[in-house]
Amino acid sequence: MQIYLPIAELSINIFLLLGLGGAVGFLSGMFGVGGGFLLTPLLIFSGIPPAVAVGTQANQTVASSISGALAHWRQGTVDLKMGLVLLVGGAVGSFLGIYVFGLLKSVGQVDLLISLSYVLFLGVIGGLMLIESVRAIIAERRGGGATARRSNHHNWVHRLPFKMRFRKSRLYISAIPPLLLGTLVGMLVAIMGVGGGFIMVPAMIYMLRMPTNVVIGTSLFQIIFVTGLVTVLHSVQNQAVDVLLALLLLTGGVIGAQFGARAGEKLRGEHLRLLLGLLVLLVGARLGYDLIATPDDMFSLSGGLG
Amino acid sequence: MSKLITKLLLPYVALLGFIDPVHAEGIVTDLSKHEVAIRSNFTGADILVFGAIERAGDSASTGPADVVIEVTGPETTETVRRKDKVSGIWMNYEATRFERVPGFYAVLSSRPLENIAPASLLKVEQLGFNNISFGKAWSSVLGGEENLRTPDEVAPFSTAILRSRAKDKLYVADSNGVVFMGDTLFRASIPLPASVPVGLYTVKVYLLRDGHVVDAISSPLLIAKSGVERVIYRFAYGQPFLYGIVAVLLAIFAGWTAALIFREH
Repeated sequence: MQIYLPIAELSINIFLLLGLGGAVGFLSGMFGVGGGFLLTPLLIFSGIPPAVAVGTQANQTVASSISGALAHWRQGTVDLKMGLVLLVGGAVGSFLGIYVFGLLKSVGQVDLLISLSYVLFLGVIGGLMLIESVRAIIAERRGGGATARRSNHHNWVHRLPFKMRFRKSRLYISAIPPLLLGTLVGMLVAIMGVGGGFIMVPAMIYMLRMPTNVVIGTSLFQIIFVTGLVTVLHSVQNQAVDVLLALLLLTGGVIGAQFGARAGEKLRGEHLRLLLGLLVLLVGARLGYDLIATPDDMFSLSGGLG
Repeated sequence: MSKLITKLLLPYVALLGFIDPVHAEGIVTDLSKHEVAIRSNFTGADILVFGAIERAGDSASTGPADVVIEVTGPETTETVRRKDKVSGIWMNYEATRFERVPGFYAVLSSRPLENIAPASLLKVEQLGFNNISFGKAWSSVLGGEENLRTPDEVAPFSTAILRSRAKDKLYVADSNGVVFMGDTLFRASIPLPASVPVGLYTVKVYLLRDGHVVDAISSPLLIAKSGVERVIYRFAYGQPFLYGIVAVLLAIFAGWTAALIFREH
């Protein structure tokens, strides 16, 4: 059954979209990740214009993050002050990202920007996950319960000025690193449509040294506002948010996530990360291949001034 | 349905043809629909063009008459980019912007155009793929300064438009598209694909005899989004800021509802 998407301006099979949303939802439920970094490339592979894929993905991320954010809010595992500082950075980053997006769109390079960003981030994240999970598996086989050691030494983060007290995180650190982190992630949201949790969470743990119990809640809290802002910005600048597409993906995603969460309980953590790492590398490799392989048609059309 | 309409209407159309005494020879035509609504289940449509050749007085007609139907969609600016390998990566390099590119173009006839009329006439009337004018062409490299180019210089770019649009069935040429029923009645079906652009179209029906245009009639055809698609599209382009806010609220509501449903289980 075909459905006409009003903003993407094409007719696409409704079950393909529900299936894509469902499959990525399954994976995100299983691995506990947002899934936007997989869904956006898959949408591009199925013919959705990259700009619409990104704008719509930002909108969909708002929906897929809300239940987790609410749950953490109720449990009191959100560092509101840290969240707000990250959010200020996120807002600045979103505007910067949208500006770069618009600039490159006007010279016809926005698809390249999206592809390159994805190849870079999927490559780095997938590679790190793979290495880390292989190490964990090897360490366990040897019998030593080697866990990642969290150093209590003060790092460079603690020597910066403009210190602020974050009670919930039991931290007294400069506001500069969370602001910069927020800005970087905001730019990623605007350019890639993802929530950015895959950068935010490790950075909060290893760079800011936040206690792990508030990391996910605080990350989800700011993701909702930043992806919400990016949705509005993409709507205003590019008219690239397709609500019908977002709703279809969301429907599939919500159902898929329920089954994924159950499937995930049966697999061990390292093995899950190994699988996810491989999957992420695979998607990145496909996008990378499209950049270097000789295209079927050297010419491409883009309507209007875009 | 449309076939039934044609059957019912054709006698009247044919009758109308004999009333007008002024022209020696002319045509009367109409479309099965003057408006096409694009809804969420839109997968394309066929528009039926039908009509009759009227021959006043003693119709000592010489040679066979030809009917050519040309459908032109709304014209927009179109930028064609050519990829080049820059440090190992294929990226858009040279771009050409054409000022007036029809979003849809169809030319239907009862036999090949080149057998119907001389090349000079086809060029003047802009009939056929090779004769569509895309307006002024401006070239630039990597978003740099734009320079006005002659049609010959940008031929690879304009043929890229023809190739791409033909592939998407947005540019159609069919030399068997016009079907005659007897000597005077004719009909043709214009296939509109799902990706057909919205806007005001012109359906022009030419009557040719011995390589000359004897008569031509233009009819308007409106293609518009309808229902939910129209509401969403208009909202997104008319009130983009509000649209963004609503999109976010909708996402929050949908995500929240989903969470509630699955907590019950």
